[in-house]
Amino acid sequence: MNTIIQNILVFIAVALAIWFLLHKYGVLPKKKTSGSKACGQDDCGCH
Amino acid sequence: MSKQINVALIGNPNTGKTSVFNSLTGLNQKVGNYPGITVEKKEGICKLPRGVKAHIIDLPGTYSLNASSLDENVVIELLLNKNDKDFPDVAVVVSDVENLKRNLLLYTQIKDLKIPTILVINMSDRMAYKGIQLDIAYLEKELQTKIALVSTRKNKGIDQLKELITNYKELSTEPCLNASEIDKEYFDKLRKAFPNQLLYKLWLVITQDVNFGKIDRNEIDAINSFKTKGKADLKRLQQKETIKRYQFINNTLKKGQTIDLKSAKDLRIKLDRILTHKVWGYLIFAVILLTIFQAIYDWSSVPMDFIDSAFASLSEWTKNVMPEGAFTSLIAEGIIPGLGGIVIFIPQIAFLFLFISVLEETGYMSRVVFLMDRIMRRFGLSGKSVVPLISGTACAIPAIMATRNIESWKERLITILVTPFTTCSARLPVYLIIISLVIPEGRFFGLSYQALTLMLLYLIGFGAAIISAWILNKILKIKSKTFFVVEMPNYKLPLFKNVALTVLEKTKSFVFGAGKIILAISIVLWFLASYGSGDDFNNAEEIITTQFASENLSSEELQQKISSHQLEHSFIGIAGHAIEPAIRPLGYDWKIGIAIVSSFAAREVFVGTLATIYSVGSDEEETIKNRMAGEVNPILGGPLFNFASGISLLLFYAFAMQCMSTLAVVKRETNSWKWPMYQLVIMSAFAYVVALIAYQVLK
Repeated sequence: MNTIIQNILVFIAVALAIWFLLHKYGVLPKKKTSGSKACGQDDCGCH
Repeated sequence: MSKQINVALIGNPNTGKTSVFNSLTGLNQKVGNYPGITVEKKEGICKLPRGVKAHIIDLPGTYSLNASSLDENVVIELLLNKNDKDFPDVAVVVSDVENLKRNLLLYTQIKDLKIPTILVINMSDRMAYKGIQLDIAYLEKELQTKIALVSTRKNKGIDQLKELITNYKELSTEPCLNASEIDKEYFDKLRKAFPNQLLYKLWLVITQDVNFGKIDRNEIDAINSFKTKGKADLKRLQQKETIKRYQFINNTLKKGQTIDLKSAKDLRIKLDRILTHKVWGYLIFAVILLTIFQAIYDWSSVPMDFIDSAFASLSEWTKNVMPEGAFTSLIAEGIIPGLGGIVIFIPQIAFLFLFISVLEETGYMSRVVFLMDRIMRRFGLSGKSVVPLISGTACAIPAIMATRNIESWKERLITILVTPFTTCSARLPVYLIIISLVIPEGRFFGLSYQALTLMLLYLIGFGAAIISAWILNKILKIKSKTFFVVEMPNYKLPLFKNVALTVLEKTKSFVFGAGKIILAISIVLWFLASYGSGDDFNNAEEIITTQFASENLSSEELQQKISSHQLEHSFIGIAGHAIEPAIRPLGYDWKIGIAIVSSFAAREVFVGTLATIYSVGSDEEETIKNRMAGEVNPILGGPLFNFASGISLLLFYAFAMQCMSTLAVVKRETNSWKWPMYQLVIMSAFAYVVALIAYQVLK
């Protein structure tokens, strides 16, 4: 019983860790924030 | 429920705005980003008299409301958008008693927005020293406000400021001058076309290159009854506005401020002459750098050893008190060693930020920027590139964001591309552990070889940055104009509170930022190292017992051989062996290969990864350093981390582009994947070649 619980906890921890890493590095979609804004300079390349 | 007042702290750079913020909020502050952009947002809570609370925002430093960078836009955007939840009930403009004339330009502009405004005259403790006298009553009358004379150093005037904030409703919202006089006809037309809008707000929207909140410049252009002027005419009008404001400020200060030059005792000129001298300036800077690196080593060794053995004991203790099983192993062999691999570097990171913070607080850093400008120009960069390159020693991400104040796109792009070469704090754990393993402990003129190696690595990083800048300057065909202006603040003793808060904030963000990633990677790595498929993994015990049946091995030795066999055939072992041919010529084994691959997420993951891999299956209470020192090269024999492989690793980490967050920020700042991909491929290929040459020459 104890072994089963420990194994379940391990798999939950691994699943959470993978989920976190995928989110962190943009593999899974993140919540959308407002769009990027121009910096106000003519030649900065971000317009 | 008590009312919360929104307070915006605004001011020119170097006026001590952050010191005022720290004095008001203490530890009740947090650092984040403005929504949608990566400009740092500092906010905090201040308790005011009569149970009132103030929500204080420390806005980025700006010289005026004529924005030329994204940081400055943040200030204007907030002040123009009444619907913003942070829109201030009261603006606190922080000025420096020695630069009142320049600081008041921004103040008069904010007054035109009809926001209740308090003027803080900071650094008042320097008035007697500089022979400055102020007629506060006169200034308050002319500037239509209340003034708080503050000295954050002596902790004076903060209570008065709190009182003024509490009573902000009594403040006048009238402008101190009529700026529309610069072109009455034009402003009258503007007023008639938009009768419900604040005139100065419209003027700001017309003259800025970006749109703010709900008022759009295109909307103004679209109104038939009003035709805005051409760009050149608007610039001319802006200049007239600035001149008018300075005329008002000059007249006000003529009566409100007296400066007795005879009583001013100026040490600054003498110090500047030495610290920015073309020979002494660089020598002094080199000595300061050496002292910093030596101190980082000497002062950190005791707390580091303590943390290292504490984590080893914690791991052993966990194994003893928790029931045996996979989850216990995950905690004891995966999570604790992985986290230990980052926590151990807290003392050194904290000391590094302590020194950087003290240099900034004293005003010396601006002199370094000035000194470096002379070198930078020869390599196609401006002095402004020095700020990102120096702040890159903390982290490349804010450093790349700091390039936004570089006006020339070419210089900005080059700075963005070369900044990741500078030695960031994430490289520090890798450098420190490898140096401690492969560089002897002797001393040279009182300086340890290890500290000198560390300093050399910082210089290599800086050298790589400026040489690449020179090459990029020759290759990139982008036309742009360049100029460099730097403000030299006065020298002052660092404020303990500011230094302490900086060290705390930077160390916290390093540990928690990296800590979450390392925790997750440690869990995944432990899983990959503890599980596998195939007979070799599942029947490891049987295979090893049969193989060594004739040898008289103790049960401990046999267990170690079984664990080692299992690790070799685990998922991570299979992956590691697959990449081994590519890294073997560099002197690394498959375990280092896995650590290098996982540290492409973030460099500091390297030590945590090795700590996790070496801990799996091990029953001994052992520190990370000892485990690494005990690793044997499987082919050549002898220590795996020897001088040749160690130097090869150090050089690989000095040049390789191993930080996904930095790549993401470069993409964001350049608006293209092209540049981060160039960085990733070119830097990593260069790192591989240099590491290969180093190992092959030194082995």
